[in-house]
Amino acid sequence: MTRSAGRSVPRSDARAKVTGEAKYAVDASRPEMLHATIVRSDRAHALIKDIDTAEAAAIPGVSAVITSDDLDGLFPRFGHIVADHPILAIDRVRYYGEPVAMVLAASRHTAADAARLVRVSYEGLPEVMSIAAALEEGAPLLHEERYDHGDESFGEAMSDDWSPSNIAHEVCLEWGDVDAAFTDATEIVETTTHYPMLYAYAMEPYNALATFDEGALEVITTAQHPYQVREDLARIFDLPLAAVRVTSPFLGGGYGSKSYTKVEPLAAVGAWFSRRPVKLALDVEEAIYTTRADSATVTVKSAFGADGMLTARDFQLDLDSGAYADNGPLVLAKAVHRCFGPYRIPNLRVRGRSFYTNTTPASSYRGFGAPQGNLAGELNMDQAAERLGIDPGEIRRRNLLLPGEEVLPGARPLDADLPADLEMVLESLDSSRPRGPLHGIGFGASASDAGAFPVSTATIKVHADGSVTLLTGSTEMGQGSQTALAQIAATELGVPLGSVRVLQSDTAITPYERTTGASRTTTLTGLAIQRACADALEKMMAMVSESREVPVEDVKTSDGVISIPGGGDLTFAEAVQDWFGSRAGEVTGVGIVRKADSTAMLPPFWEIGMVGVEVSVDAETGYVTVDHLATVGDVGYAINPALVEGQDLGAATQGLGAALFEQLIYDGPQPLNPNVVDYRVPRSRDVPRTIDTMLAERRDGVGPYGAKGSGEGALNPIGGAVAAAVGRAIGRWPDRLPLTPEYVWRLMHMETEAE
Amino acid sequence: MSVLPPFELHRPTSIEEVVELISWDDLPYVGGTELLLAMRAGLLNPRSLIDLKGVAEITGVRAHNGAVRIGAAVTHQQAATTEVISEKLPELPPVLLHVGNPRVRWSGTLAGNLCFAEPKSDVIPFLIALDATVTLVSADGSREMSVREFIIGPYFTARTEHELLAWIDIPVVPGRRGTYLKYQVMERPTVGVAAVRLDEGDSTITRVVVGAAGEVPVVHDVDHAHPDRSAVATAVVDALEPIDDLTGSSDYKRHVTAVYVERALEKLERM
Repeated sequence: MTRSAGRSVPRSDARAKVTGEAKYAVDASRPEMLHATIVRSDRAHALIKDIDTAEAAAIPGVSAVITSDDLDGLFPRFGHIVADHPILAIDRVRYYGEPVAMVLAASRHTAADAARLVRVSYEGLPEVMSIAAALEEGAPLLHEERYDHGDESFGEAMSDDWSPSNIAHEVCLEWGDVDAAFTDATEIVETTTHYPMLYAYAMEPYNALATFDEGALEVITTAQHPYQVREDLARIFDLPLAAVRVTSPFLGGGYGSKSYTKVEPLAAVGAWFSRRPVKLALDVEEAIYTTRADSATVTVKSAFGADGMLTARDFQLDLDSGAYADNGPLVLAKAVHRCFGPYRIPNLRVRGRSFYTNTTPASSYRGFGAPQGNLAGELNMDQAAERLGIDPGEIRRRNLLLPGEEVLPGARPLDADLPADLEMVLESLDSSRPRGPLHGIGFGASASDAGAFPVSTATIKVHADGSVTLLTGSTEMGQGSQTALAQIAATELGVPLGSVRVLQSDTAITPYERTTGASRTTTLTGLAIQRACADALEKMMAMVSESREVPVEDVKTSDGVISIPGGGDLTFAEAVQDWFGSRAGEVTGVGIVRKADSTAMLPPFWEIGMVGVEVSVDAETGYVTVDHLATVGDVGYAINPALVEGQDLGAATQGLGAALFEQLIYDGPQPLNPNVVDYRVPRSRDVPRTIDTMLAERRDGVGPYGAKGSGEGALNPIGGAVAAAVGRAIGRWPDRLPLTPEYVWRLMHMETEAE
Repeated sequence: MSVLPPFELHRPTSIEEVVELISWDDLPYVGGTELLLAMRAGLLNPRSLIDLKGVAEITGVRAHNGAVRIGAAVTHQQAATTEVISEKLPELPPVLLHVGNPRVRWSGTLAGNLCFAEPKSDVIPFLIALDATVTLVSADGSREMSVREFIIGPYFTARTEHELLAWIDIPVVPGRRGTYLKYQVMERPTVGVAAVRLDEGDSTITRVVVGAAGEVPVVHDVDHAHPDRSAVATAVVDALEPIDDLTGSSDYKRHVTAVYVERALEKLERM
């Protein structure tokens, strides 16, 4: 039988998704269901003086109008790191679009009409719309109280000392003697960049359907991490985890924006209050008011010796994280870890701060703090190469970490061959070929401490007919986990891929999975599946040993067959049926991954980004065209090569969005472009003319067959690579993204304008 | 708000029925590509919509009196692929096939585009360049006027409360050449330039119409077959009143307008 792992088998969900038969959370409905509409703040910062719900409540078909006053007896906030986000605003709003009240009605239309009639009286407070404003002396404070903290495994994102301030969080990292290294440096190169505020456009906006039934809460939602959402919901309603069931069907895109709790508390509160199922489905505009990615200003100063070797780097990262913490503290911690490398740096200092501002709360976004810092870090390397007269490929060759070297003290040594990856990109770019005017190449590298905190469990059921069910709490959000995980199970059991059926993401049924993020699924869930399969095989061999009365050490298995001495081969079906004595029963294998054994050391793996681009710039308009894209998927082993390449192309394309077009713009207290007409995401015509998605399979990961994660890596260095390519094409280094035609045109004509 | 407010729907079959119904509170529609968005956004809340797709008199394209007559219910896609237009107005289909996106082209109409008077319309500058006219019909009769007169300002036309834009006439002029170039980064163009050359007896007129960059189209005629491109660009930019928006600052719009006027004229010369 052909081994399933390592082959580009078609996605198991492709037909259902292409034909429209696939079911998403937004498709879910229940009899007697009410529809919720959210009344949102039209102020960025204000005290709520009064909410008049009478007129809305009087509309026929309206069941209830709920405000925070109605949440008596509940824990009224959520947040997995800092429980600071009120489900419905309590006395005060802190960003435009914050939920203030919720209308429940028999139809969406009635709910929407009634929501327009809820009258909220505000008393305006001074607004903090930028990092600069947050830092001003006497700036108004967004938060004056300290909230409960969440799960201890987010320790790296929690601070012990606390005093009221608009600095939401600080993370510092330092080793060596940075100041001395700068004193002794041959060359010091300083770079400041600005990374835009982004929205992760998912085709399926946030939505949830909640039901309270006999004291238990059930929520069907478009969430990446249903087990994390369950925690927040259990706290709100003071329920045991067993009484909260969160289900995530196929997600219509996630990109990090659906990590952790978003609209689930609202729907659940509606169901709790009304005793009816409640559906809440946001549109894109409301989704933009729900979560965004951090914008960042990053300054890096690097010290070099005459030989082009880095002797020190000093980073200052300032992230605009919006009105509430959400996952912002962890994004900052990761940004600090991911900005300086992947280079050998004898002396390092990174100071990261994230700021509260009166804007949509920022949270996870594909790459998780890496793209913001990488833009500054990699452009800095390019500028250093120019200053030192060294080829930009060569300066990286000299400084890149080698396999097995330390990236972060105490962390897993580097499990990748970066110099080899770099050569692949340089070759694809034909980097030594001279380019014409207004053409340029750029490339960059990143290494992310990925995989997150390792907790994964998996269950394998071998049924009486020999078919297999794989149960996993990992979510299928378009990345293809349903397919890749089945390939691992089929390979481990030695059965055809078609006999494995995957059931995902139902906290009441599937085994625990901490998150579907940090590019962890193939590696960590994959390991748990390997162990579950081994457990199932071991149990079946023990059963055969018992039913056929042969010593267990004489029972063997391979290719889906269990063999005993004397040539007797049993299928899995026979093994199960023999032992149970009828056409019944099943064998359950359990696999567990935790911070132990091969995953004792964090991170579980380093996720590599290694990309290159060639661009051309229109002389008259400044329009940037990406002519060539090269990516290296340094994944150790590709369980499904086509899926890995798809992830790399998708990540790179999403990165091109921020590099060239995307930015959420605040015009005073309110976003100017909260829709996908004015917020410009990449289209099919923006995809580079030639694409070279390469794979590096060196079996150096901790996952199945040496696999490591992918999905974010190719995004992280794209911004810096495009900026460098444009810089070379026009002879001036950009200092910000997106590289809109107008910005590039202004850059090209800077001197002319100054005259 | 993503939910459409409630409305009544009429499905008349004749222009007479339409003009009986039509008012500021009873709006005609075909594809609804602009109207339904405005209704979802809460900008318009009409009592009823009047579906024109069943009105046979305005659902087709035909040659009429030296012109091509395009009915109010004709979509961009339908017009672009109609034989009479390919034959008599070969310069039009390439423009229509670049309007918006496929969803807009298959459901939106030229007449709807005119009535909405979106300043970033691709259709309006080109129809002005082709000297197109519109016919407005009401219960009291009908009147014809040029598209140039019809478009008064952003989202503002000469149509009055009880009038239906029934059809658009585009004169067929032998030997006329025309092209439309647009510069588009966002969902709508930063600038669109229509350039048309036509012989009028012993003289040749080159006309440039610029849309999207300003709030109203700028029309510039030159009495020459091969005008000085840079001079035309300068004159057009001088007449332009661009505003800063997400498609560009006014400075940048002036600059790319000049670039695209020159590019359009260069293309026209090769035609």
